[in-house]
Amino acid sequence: MEAIRADSISKDFGEIRALNEVSIGIEPGELFFLLGGSGCGKTTLLRCIAGLEQPSSGRVLFEGEDVTDLPTHKREAAMVFQSYALWPHMTVGQNIAFGLEERKVPRDEIADRVGEALEMVRMPGFQERGIDQMSGGQQQRVSLARALVVKPKCLLLDEPLSNLDAQLRLEMRSEIRRIVKENGLTGVYVTHDQAEALSMADRLAVMDRGRVQQIGCPEDVYRNPATSCVASFIGETNLLDATVKGQGEGGSVVVETEAGEYAGRPAAEDWRPGEGDKVFVSVRPEAIRIAETEDGSLGEIMETTYLGDIIQYRVRMHAGVEIQVSEMNPRLVLAKGVGVTLEVHPENVVVLRE
Amino acid sequence: MRARKAIILTTAVALFFGVFFLFPVVMVIGEAFVDKEGGFTSAYVVQVFANPVYLEGLWNALLLGVISTIAALLIAFPLALFTHRYRFPLKGPLSALILVPLVLPPFVGAVGVKQMLGVKGALNAFLEKIGMMDPAAPIDWLGEGRFWGIVIMNALHLYPILYMNIAASLAHLDPAMEEAAQNLGCSPWRRLRRITMPLTMPGIFAGGAIVFIWSFTELGVPLVFDYSRVAPVQIYDGLKDLESNPFPYALVAVMLVISSAVFLLSKAFLGRSRLGTAPRPKGRQAEKVLRGGKGWLLTALFLGIFLFASLPHLGVILLSVATDWYGTILPEQLTGAHYDEALGHPLVVPSIQNSLLYASGAMLVDLLLGLAIAWVIVRSTIRGRALLDALVMLPLAVPGLVLAFGYLALAQEGRAFSFLVGANGNPVILLVLAYAVRRLPYVVRAAVAGLQQSNVTLEEAALSLGATPMRMMRRIALPLLSANLLAGGILAFAFAMLEVSDSLILAQQAEHFPITKAIYTLLNTLGNGYELASALGVWAMIFLGISIVGAVLLAGKRGGLFRM
Repeated sequence: MEAIRADSISKDFGEIRALNEVSIGIEPGELFFLLGGSGCGKTTLLRCIAGLEQPSSGRVLFEGEDVTDLPTHKREAAMVFQSYALWPHMTVGQNIAFGLEERKVPRDEIADRVGEALEMVRMPGFQERGIDQMSGGQQQRVSLARALVVKPKCLLLDEPLSNLDAQLRLEMRSEIRRIVKENGLTGVYVTHDQAEALSMADRLAVMDRGRVQQIGCPEDVYRNPATSCVASFIGETNLLDATVKGQGEGGSVVVETEAGEYAGRPAAEDWRPGEGDKVFVSVRPEAIRIAETEDGSLGEIMETTYLGDIIQYRVRMHAGVEIQVSEMNPRLVLAKGVGVTLEVHPENVVVLRE
Repeated sequence: MRARKAIILTTAVALFFGVFFLFPVVMVIGEAFVDKEGGFTSAYVVQVFANPVYLEGLWNALLLGVISTIAALLIAFPLALFTHRYRFPLKGPLSALILVPLVLPPFVGAVGVKQMLGVKGALNAFLEKIGMMDPAAPIDWLGEGRFWGIVIMNALHLYPILYMNIAASLAHLDPAMEEAAQNLGCSPWRRLRRITMPLTMPGIFAGGAIVFIWSFTELGVPLVFDYSRVAPVQIYDGLKDLESNPFPYALVAVMLVISSAVFLLSKAFLGRSRLGTAPRPKGRQAEKVLRGGKGWLLTALFLGIFLFASLPHLGVILLSVATDWYGTILPEQLTGAHYDEALGHPLVVPSIQNSLLYASGAMLVDLLLGLAIAWVIVRSTIRGRALLDALVMLPLAVPGLVLAFGYLALAQEGRAFSFLVGANGNPVILLVLAYAVRRLPYVVRAAVAGLQQSNVTLEEAALSLGATPMRMMRRIALPLLSANLLAGGILAFAFAMLEVSDSLILAQQAEHFPITKAIYTLLNTLGNGYELASALGVWAMIFLGISIVGAVLLAGKRGGLFRM
């Protein structure tokens, strides 16, 4: 049975529809990500699951049980806030003990469990510290400990790393994943950082303008984006308008773009675009092989950006359109103005419906 | 350049403050410890505590302070919490309306309370009429000595100060603080006690200290209630034989010590708590929309409190148009005669002119000083500007009575301020200065808030485009600040118009009386003095109501003006 189910949830704030018939199911023990740009509704959805926001319509189910009308303090879904929300009038120990006190846990047991929770986040002995005596990373760990200590059924994280610096963020990624997995928790994690989502998630939902665009594992979403919006949000991509010319070999579709004619594969298995259909194609920059050529070039290099392990080229096709190309582990650097040909395997050309 | 200007300004402000604030205050304290031969003595202060009459007066003042503050808090906290949490019908106008009692002159209101709740007042007449009370044994609602009448008047007058401070604290509270508690299994009531209340303590203490000092040293209301067993009134009564009687000075010194202690304690509490570090909210709408009955219930609560708080002033308005109002629910007949007669009374028109003059003078002084101080605090980098900031807030801790007393003593023949007294004992300069010093904190706060909100780069941009500092000030800085300055100025003006202690003590001749002293004198006049005083009071209320609503609208954000 699913640990958490959001069943066609809509949420209106006045005129604005923040969530539009959103449905997701989250498996027990899974670390599930809600990914999207600002204003896409991901935080609103998390807050509906937490019970901090009442959906305008739809239901929230925990292990098959309808909790839509249950107030947050009866839901057993502990939340980690973006601002940490550590109470400044209490010490670290008091902050962590709070949820246990509310559950009327005996005093000795509270002390033990607060200690364990601090060890879990690798901050043993910090009980007596004040909140403002700690760095951002330490505050982050305390706010995790405060949520973990009540042994919740699920852990809800709202952009927990967005206030940390880049180095600390990398460190906390694996730390949070470790903690969720070691405790066998179901985690729902909201972020706008696609690298965070791709590196940490078991599965993720990409959201845009109050709707779920695609749900899948990171590799699946990256390789087979369902829509142009997903393709451009997850990683960099070249997104081109295209017209279907006909069927190609091995289930592929031949499309015509401004950059030429390519064979590609449709994004969804149950969808076959017909001849003349208007579609999009998405080609990742690193899927394109670039080569210098004397004659018969398709385009010309406009800009070269050298990043050490990667070279990024901006290529203007003779047809007028610009294409981004990344070459990993480059042996030689092509200069601006060089004529090039571009090649791509049909497997890496994704044909999208919208 | 900037540093030198800041130093000059700071020196000038410090000088002004030293001469017209610290000097009189220290002088009063000194006077309490100097015997007839000029030697040091602590005998007077000791005798204050040995004298049962003075001791009772102090004790009553303390009780009035504490009970009035608690009563004001009981009104203000729920109101602030409800405005913070919920949206209900007519919320906007109502949350402005409940601030209005602050500007209704309390000692005018006291007349109304007596009229409403006195033995022969409207409430008893109503109870008799519906048969709930025996006419032969009327209930004395205000009680022996009018203690509770004063508490009611103080609480109804001062709760807006607490309300604004608490509302400001709540507005700075990260909504996630409360949500986190909720999320960890905390019920709404426990969340209020364990999270919301502790985190609003800065607002409660800041507002509570002001309300306490205000009601602890309140002179006008006890005077109108004829309640003489309270220290401020005892001090006022002691004025007559000040030359031979050192006890008023000793009493003033004791009150000053208590007020300053409360002020410092609340400051220390604010300094120790690390609540300032709480993250600011991220603009999430924390208000819950209350629909239907629940929402209208809140609307009714807010309206009810406003109506109840303005009941005394309604009494005043009725009294001012009543031919005869004694032992009945409402006046039997209405008349406009008191207004006509008041305009003809030798005290009334001059007192309005005087008050306008004094109050505008005080406002001008405050605006100039406030702007200079705020500029030093916000824009300069000189050392000691934090000290300056703390210094200019001090008048909040010093009772008006103390300052008035100091001015009075120093204005005597041969003393330091005697040159400030005009021909024929004209106190205009003294009153303008006394009013200005006590209202300065409000103007400084308003100007500081305005300067902090406006970005310094806007001024730098003007300078870089070739504007001289003076022209930059006039064309960029002042227009950006104007709303805040105007709000602070109007507030200073309004409070100066209703000032009681300085006015009663410093204005000696009838021709120099400001409105408040004229009202007080009329109240003690036989015949229709009460009705004439009410008529004058109504004029003052209308005038002030307009000023303050203007100030609140201009300030835009509530709460900035009364914070410590």
